[in-house]
Amino acid sequence: MPQLVTVKVDRPGHRPIRLWVPVLPVVLLLFPVVVLVALAAIVACLVFRIGAVRALGAGWRVISALPGARFDIEQGRTAVLVAIR
Amino acid sequence: MNEQRKDILDMLAAGKITAEEAEQLIAALERDPAPAAAGLDARPKGKLKYLRVVVDATDNGEPSRVNVRVPLQLLRAGVRLAALVPPQALVKANASLSDSGVPIDLTQLKPEQLEALVEHLDDMTVEVDSPDATVRVFCE
Repeated sequence: MPQLVTVKVDRPGHRPIRLWVPVLPVVLLLFPVVVLVALAAIVACLVFRIGAVRALGAGWRVISALPGARFDIEQGRTAVLVAIR
Repeated sequence: MNEQRKDILDMLAAGKITAEEAEQLIAALERDPAPAAAGLDARPKGKLKYLRVVVDATDNGEPSRVNVRVPLQLLRAGVRLAALVPPQALVKANASLSDSGVPIDLTQLKPEQLEALVEHLDDMTVEVDSPDATVRVFCE
């Protein structure tokens, strides 16, 4: 599971943005929302006749495979970096 | 037995190619034993973990660079997730793709085929050079 999401944004004429988001505390903070989203996903699975357990398992695999992903985009003096660890 | 020769024999056993075609393919392999090593820098063939996409371009005189690193595990997980898409959604996606001029039948894409594709991504390197941009797609 991802531990830390790093976001860096550099724009000319603006103050650079540096965000280090610890995933676990944020998930705990948003736990009620996470539960609601999971319930909505289960209802959607039932409506579209998809195995809810399989779908949640596949979703969890996607989330747990995220660490190591890195998106780094630069154009001129503008740069955006999103890294997941 | 090397991997490519085994693939050819598997295709022959599965009836996908005839014995003559298999013979021709094996003969071609023997003539050119390692075509993949030519041209590109030989990368270590260990456990490859990431798909990298690197684009260096110039837009209106400004240099731009895109550097994306995606874990191969994420692609595999995405394939499993995509396998859950209901058939009626695939039919709608087919219609939209067809309207956009991309006549691909997604219902014919099997999860096993996609997984095999991801498994063999580590053998792939794509390099595109143009005066304005360089694109490299490879695994590391």
